[in-house]
Amino acid sequence: MHEALLTLGFGIVTAAILALSAVAFTLEYGVTNVANVSHGEILTVSAYAAYVVHQRTGSAVAAALAAALAGGLVALAMYLSVIGPFIRFGATPTVIFIATLGVSFIIQNFLVIGFGAENVAYTIDPGAPQNIGPFLLTPLDERIVLSAAAITLALYFVVSRTKFGKALRAVSQNRELARVTGINATRVAAATFFLAGLIAGYAGFVLAESVGTFNPYFGFSFFLITLTASVAGGLGRPFGTVAGAVMVGIILEFAGNYISASYNLAFAFAILAIVILVRPRGLFTNARRTVFE
Amino acid sequence: MSAYLVSILTEGSIFGIMALGLNVIWGWAGDFDLAYYGYVAIGAYMTLVLTIGPPVPPAEFILGLQLPYPVAVAGAVATSMAVGLVVGLIALRHLRGIYFSIVTLGAVYVMYVMAGQYVRLFDGYNGLSGLFDPMGDWFGFDYQTYQYFFLGLSLVCFVLVFLFMARISSSRFGMALRTLREDERAAAAFGRDIYRLKLKGYVLGAGIGGFAGALFAAYLSAFNPSAWSPVEVIVLYSAVLVGGRGNIRGVALGVLIMGVLVQESTRFLPQIPNHPQVVLALRGAIIGLVLVLFLRFRPQGLLPERRYIDREPAVEPAPQAT
Repeated sequence: MHEALLTLGFGIVTAAILALSAVAFTLEYGVTNVANVSHGEILTVSAYAAYVVHQRTGSAVAAALAAALAGGLVALAMYLSVIGPFIRFGATPTVIFIATLGVSFIIQNFLVIGFGAENVAYTIDPGAPQNIGPFLLTPLDERIVLSAAAITLALYFVVSRTKFGKALRAVSQNRELARVTGINATRVAAATFFLAGLIAGYAGFVLAESVGTFNPYFGFSFFLITLTASVAGGLGRPFGTVAGAVMVGIILEFAGNYISASYNLAFAFAILAIVILVRPRGLFTNARRTVFE
Repeated sequence: MSAYLVSILTEGSIFGIMALGLNVIWGWAGDFDLAYYGYVAIGAYMTLVLTIGPPVPPAEFILGLQLPYPVAVAGAVATSMAVGLVVGLIALRHLRGIYFSIVTLGAVYVMYVMAGQYVRLFDGYNGLSGLFDPMGDWFGFDYQTYQYFFLGLSLVCFVLVFLFMARISSSRFGMALRTLREDERAAAAFGRDIYRLKLKGYVLGAGIGGFAGALFAAYLSAFNPSAWSPVEVIVLYSAVLVGGRGNIRGVALGVLIMGVLVQESTRFLPQIPNHPQVVLALRGAIIGLVLVLFLRFRPQGLLPERRYIDREPAVEPAPQAT
């Protein structure tokens, strides 16, 4: 029982990081109806930005801010240079999916050119683990969980209570109708990408901090787990996605602890395949699936 | 012929076979399948476990037979097709578009993780090695002559696959696959069994991929998880896209262009000391860039697929006297 509780504690930390990344991904999906495969690279670029800033200044706070800002700018650049033009050109979601896969390939390779393919690490001390309730967590883990909760709450406020949030929801539900009512869909989508990039950038920083090392491919493998969480929660539904992330994070941690952590990716995809086949619109909706999903 | 040219041509033919297999799935049936490189890898792994003999401890892997190379190739193709059938049965049932792509991405990562982590399958990260000059001792070739022999073998295989694809391209089956790509509901309305057709196309593509993998294993004489990665399929997609999706001549042209472009574009770069990966990474970036630019500005490719036009005018009913 004690071991299970410890695992649950680690699962919550994984879930917190996953929730940030998945919420950002699902926001991007919501406003464009396109799965951005280069989402993982937002996390990677931010982790490197934080690495550079941390080496220069030695401050973890500055590194976190740099990561978020870099993430926002990268996501905005992805929207302005590739995703937006493809949408205006009338490309199908599958074509844009392929194009963003190409973008992810380009960014990974430029990172290899800039930083090399080897692992790099921050030297931020996570602090000694301590007992918090039944869990055994480091101060770093606490910071991750608390900040993820705070960011999710702030996002909830922005999406449900502000004018921008209203426009965001309108564009997500029906882009054409939103445009008819005078909403500048392109600008809303660009702003949403920037916002999602801020969150994903911060997620990239805490992920690198929590894992310890990273390389140009680390965002892509985390993207695969992000995808699972987002699809489980319902693509384009930010708060279903948080629930999906918590579930996937905890399942992965238990599977990793009781079976083997090396199969994590395989487990994630087993969950993903089952969810897509059984409930393609996500676990937390009651919509019927269609044949041409 | 220099050794360089021989190796480039051999690689090019094998790569060409892979692209032709992918063209069945993406070019004709229209499914963006990310698991494809997994079938190539299974073909390569199976060829090795069927030819290199029992494992020497501490290495461990399945089978460990010493079959003649052609038999092993047949076994490898059959295994790739079987795995393709399993993935296809799951992924093609209801899923289309990005949902299909996501599930196949999952499938290939499961294959990759299994090959790397489940040591008893293909010896994990050490991989398999020891297939030297298959069929060479039948004819008593030395190392030098063997390279030419294998080049010839690969070219013949490429031409055979190409001719086979040319037949399929204009067959009823090829046409039917294209109708699925263009309008699935219309095809269903005309009585096509969509699931079965897509599955057939998918398994055929996986088999061609496995065949290319079998040749690739003989060319490399070894295979392990660092020799492949699921995202390498992007290189194949860019070749098919650049040449002309759905047109097999276009696919061959695309392979030639991507091969030459990728090899030659970085050839005149100054050597950068201490950074051996820079040239490789630059190639990757160029491939990604070509993919995005072609998708945006010339999605039909350089040699577009010829549309089938019915040249025979519809017969109008003869005017009747009233």
